[in-house]
Amino acid sequence: MTKTINASGVGNPINRVEGHLKVMGMAKYASEFPVENKVYGQGINSTIAKGEIISIDTSEAEKLKGVLKVITYKNATKLKTFDEEMPELATDSIAPVLQSNKVHYYGEYVGLVVAETFEQAQYAASLVKFEYKKDPSAVIDFEKSKSKAYTPNNDSNYSRGNMEQGLSEADMVVEQTYNTPIEHHHPMELHAVIASWDNGKVTAYSSQQIVEDAIVAISGTFQIPKKDVRVISAFVGGGFGSKLNLDRHVIMAVMASKMVARPVQVTVTRTQMFTNTNMRQQNEQKMRIGSKKDGTLTALSHETLSHTSTTQEYQEPCGMVSKMLYKVANNEVTYKLIPMNIQTPFAMRAPGEATGSFALESAMDEMAWKLKMDPIDFRIKNDTQTDLHEERPFSSRLLVECLRIGADKFGWKDRKPEPRTNKKGNWLIGYGVSAASRNSPYQKTHAKVILELDEDKVFATIQMDATDIGTGSYTIIAQTASEYLKIPVEQVTVELGDSNFPITPGSGGSWGAASYCNGARAACENAIKTLKNNKNIAEDEEVEVAELLKKNQLTKFKAEGMAEPSAEFKKYSVFSFGANFCEVWVDKDTGMYRIERMVNVGAAGKILNPKTAYGQIIGGLTMGVGMVMAEKTRVEPNFGNFITRSFADYHVPVNLDLANIDVIFLPEVDKIANKMGIKGIGELGITSVAASITNAIFNATGKRMRSLPVTPEKLIEAGLEEGVTA
Amino acid sequence: MRPFKYTGAQNKDQALQAFTATSHYLGGGTNLVDLMKEDVERPDQLIDVNKLDYKKITSNENGGLTLGAMLSNSDTANHPEVRTKYPLLSMAMLSAASAQIRNMASNGGNLLQRTRCPYFFEVSMPCNKREPGSGCGALKGMNALHAIFGYSDSCIATNPSDMCVALAAIGATVEVQQPDGSSRMIEFTDFHRLPGDQPEKDTTLMQGELITAIHLPKPEFSDHYYYLKIRERSSYAFALVSVAAGLQVNSGVISKAGLAMGSVAHKPWKLSKAEEFLTGKKPTTENFEAAAALEMKDAKPFEGNKYKVEMGKNAIVRALTQAYEREV
Amino acid sequence: MKDIDKWNEAVDSDNLSDDENMILDAMGLNESSRRKFLKQVSAASLSIYASSFFTSEIFASTMKDLPENTIALLNEVKVNLRVNDMVKPLTLDSRTSLLDALRERLALTGTKKGCDHGQCGACTVIIDGKRNLSCLTLAATCEGKEITTVEGLAKNGEMHPMQQAFLKHDGFQCGYCTPGQICSSLALLEEAKNGEASYVTEDFKKIKSGLTLSEEEIRERMSGNICRCGAYNNIVQAFKEVHTGDDEMPTWEFATQEQMDKAKNA
Repeated sequence: MTKTINASGVGNPINRVEGHLKVMGMAKYASEFPVENKVYGQGINSTIAKGEIISIDTSEAEKLKGVLKVITYKNATKLKTFDEEMPELATDSIAPVLQSNKVHYYGEYVGLVVAETFEQAQYAASLVKFEYKKDPSAVIDFEKSKSKAYTPNNDSNYSRGNMEQGLSEADMVVEQTYNTPIEHHHPMELHAVIASWDNGKVTAYSSQQIVEDAIVAISGTFQIPKKDVRVISAFVGGGFGSKLNLDRHVIMAVMASKMVARPVQVTVTRTQMFTNTNMRQQNEQKMRIGSKKDGTLTALSHETLSHTSTTQEYQEPCGMVSKMLYKVANNEVTYKLIPMNIQTPFAMRAPGEATGSFALESAMDEMAWKLKMDPIDFRIKNDTQTDLHEERPFSSRLLVECLRIGADKFGWKDRKPEPRTNKKGNWLIGYGVSAASRNSPYQKTHAKVILELDEDKVFATIQMDATDIGTGSYTIIAQTASEYLKIPVEQVTVELGDSNFPITPGSGGSWGAASYCNGARAACENAIKTLKNNKNIAEDEEVEVAELLKKNQLTKFKAEGMAEPSAEFKKYSVFSFGANFCEVWVDKDTGMYRIERMVNVGAAGKILNPKTAYGQIIGGLTMGVGMVMAEKTRVEPNFGNFITRSFADYHVPVNLDLANIDVIFLPEVDKIANKMGIKGIGELGITSVAASITNAIFNATGKRMRSLPVTPEKLIEAGLEEGVTA
Repeated sequence: MRPFKYTGAQNKDQALQAFTATSHYLGGGTNLVDLMKEDVERPDQLIDVNKLDYKKITSNENGGLTLGAMLSNSDTANHPEVRTKYPLLSMAMLSAASAQIRNMASNGGNLLQRTRCPYFFEVSMPCNKREPGSGCGALKGMNALHAIFGYSDSCIATNPSDMCVALAAIGATVEVQQPDGSSRMIEFTDFHRLPGDQPEKDTTLMQGELITAIHLPKPEFSDHYYYLKIRERSSYAFALVSVAAGLQVNSGVISKAGLAMGSVAHKPWKLSKAEEFLTGKKPTTENFEAAAALEMKDAKPFEGNKYKVEMGKNAIVRALTQAYEREV
Repeated sequence: MKDIDKWNEAVDSDNLSDDENMILDAMGLNESSRRKFLKQVSAASLSIYASSFFTSEIFASTMKDLPENTIALLNEVKVNLRVNDMVKPLTLDSRTSLLDALRERLALTGTKKGCDHGQCGACTVIIDGKRNLSCLTLAATCEGKEITTVEGLAKNGEMHPMQQAFLKHDGFQCGYCTPGQICSSLALLEEAKNGEASYVTEDFKKIKSGLTLSEEEIRERMSGNICRCGAYNNIVQAFKEVHTGDDEMPTWEFATQEQMDKAKNA
């Protein structure tokens, strides 16, 4: 028997298996499916932050050629609304819309126009006239509304040891507040849907990260059986958390499609991406750190003040990282939320860690500088192999290795500890470092494999409702099937993003790769096991899958599989770790700066495909660069709207903002995490970049930038930190 | 977008004849089409002037160049004559927007680019420029991007163009066709206006007038030039503050200076006092700083844009320094 | 010789492997529709995605004049749209952008709508040899113009070298900005050949044709195409490889056992 040469199993940097469709413009995103007879819906947004609609005039819009329907709360389908006050926003939450005349925030949907053409739908939307009664009690100013903050129930106050005692034992204390603004995910694909009804059943081509939760949300909102809802999300043009849950334009499209008895396409505009899809909320994080002279941490507290909407609750877990990253006996983590007349925030890439690490890793750098200690030595000094919060060991933690290997690669030894001492012309040069960490929440996943024998070759098709939001799911699942079926990846087809396929947890929270691949693995293993069992072949006997099908006299065979965390898994804390090193050049007069280079080291378990894993790391770093350089959604203080309402106001990084990035993966083997040893990597990158840049800016300029983003005007206005020589 | 009639003009006469009070000429469309999508501009007719024969660059009688109004920004910035004789203009033009937009945007259209004030763009907000009499949202709102010179109570918006800052520094003349078929010349510094109590008017163009050419004087700053653009990200962003600096240096003395600032006023802000101060002086840091201070002492910032004073001063000094130190 | 030059010189070749012919036979494609199909998709990659879910969509990507409900058109304009060497007479609303005409009328959805306001570059197409934004271009203004979209780049079933380079260097993740990035990259190759300057060009007076662009120059000139997934570094590598003809090496590596031991025992 010839042995299959398997050069495309897990671990190999193969090209993306769906890549040719993307580079040729043939990958179909939600609004691109050729659904016949479709019409266009355009959402209308409120123009007050709080109050009531007192009259609506739809006559002018309805008169227009090609306008089929104007939907407002007056004629909308009755939907399921919330049973309780302030329910938590979850990935499968219902999304009621157009159900009353109440307005809760500026930009809330108050209507939808359906027309034969996109042009007429947009125009007609501008002709629907709303008259409002404004409620002057709208809460739109974060700074002025702090007294309204409440303690959310969910895991809000944590402490171990005694914080005050810890501070009293300290030789040095750092007490600082770090601010991060509202940010928006802004995937390049505008959220879009084409919804249609056929025989009482809904089909929605919708851009979603979690297909299963999308059908739960649609069925829950319309109170129809889940089996009557199908969601297809074959390609997703970026997610980052914004497509985790089901947004209200999908509900409006489904509703409208029923009303006009035609398929309805709704594409959210870029301006609506600010008000009608998710966002990361503003966080004010107060850090208190105590340390002995020798760098032993004695106390660490992390208090987060942020906001939610007046209708639903969401709390970004910023303090999570302070509970587990360092060895400190006395620890407090608290949260408070201000209910504001702004939409409900939700998870954005590495919710908690991206913002929380900025605060913690900035404060750690401040302390190291005060202690006159190298920031890397300081972190290593406080390393722990036990998660003190969960009181259990880490399954594997290579943070120290990340820091040391990165330092070597980066040339950390050339760093000048005193700020403003590394200069070149008009440039002030600085080095900065930050640790990275991110939970790897692997979850229960189902998959189906279909094997087909064609002469001597076996072709396999894997079906899962998983999504590929740019993360490489298609590719790593194909590689997994190739690995476990021992066939070349070219003989594997992966079909994703259809709710008719077996259920997975979808893409988000760094759980995708581990969940999807273990699910696919389980299906492949089941297939082989069954084929062997049928013919009384010992499970450990090596027989090619083609041979197994032949022995079973089958040309086609299907098997399903399921993977879920083991009992062992639950006894450990499973995290990916990393470190980011950054060299930044700051113009001493203009406040402009550029990132000269970065080195990122990651220990994220088995790297399934270094090419796509590298993409995930640099993608996280790029978004982190945006977080530092410019990203900020500004709330207008008098009206409560987002004054940043386009890509011209909300600046995400461009190509020239980036620089060379070397990425080093550590060869980590973590069999506790899951059978394949996979941890998450999609969010790890962003957790370390912000602090590494601001720490480098301090090293360059002697200015502590504690409020993101660090724009030229802020750098110009900032003073030198006490103790820095000008 | 509101409905409009599309009229393709084959020549100047057709364009002028088709014009009505509610028409707009359509050049590259990079600003106009965007603003129509935003419901800010509401013409009921677009007269496409892209086929008009104003796409050449020719020598003019002053020893300078004449730039056709319908030539694209990228073709203008990369024209060998412009690049060698007016590198300051090339540099400013190439700092703007993106390659794609520069390929589309016309020279005439760039002169008519409207402000990026967010209150102007959002039709649910008050804005005297968009809707006279509705008030200025920025005055007591968010004004980080707004003017520090020459504003009025009715408008504190800035002009966003990069090209126009360089044109102000160089000194240019705009040629326009009047509806009656005659043409007139407008000094560049008179082309854009301050808001006063008519902020809806960005320029001194009269209704129906069509820009046909930009005349440049004989080249003076081809050796010492720099366009400094300070912005939130390194490319594809409007300026927070920009400075166009051109110097003529003879035997260690500045014989002529061309200086203008962008994003600080309703029009490209010509720094005449600094130009005058520097003329006849040595190109030293001290003199550059003194020139900058002379201009910036008149700045009257708002709560949100105080940074522009320090940033503006630094920018003037840096642009002059870069211009002077450029290897000739 | 650079790959791109070879590609440009490549003659019309219909020499398919037996496997490829088999797939095409199975798809029921005869001689003429086969050639048409091959213009759209690389035969080498057919096997992975010749699945039921995608084949019908691939056919939909050929130019198809979708019916327009003319009762809803205002200020009708007639335009002969010349896209990827094919001409389609269309009756459009005067407001229709080139982007919407491509996507909603010609089913050429490869060109993407990322912002619809000229602020992201996802809709970049090549018009008369230059990169342009189709979202700010009114379709009415395109009579007589030569428009190339991402669907028109492959020749004889073979991907353009730039498409191949993007695939090889993973110059994308979600793929949504990719068609715009690739169209932009192709136009940039020409701009470099023509010796066009950029804002970061050191001296505007000395620039010559046939430029070899530095990394900074590539980044500046590609800054009109936003990639929110953050694939910029890979995009730069893909562009560079086609631009210079030299192989670009990945910038990721695995730590060696020696490095691991040293770090552990430091």
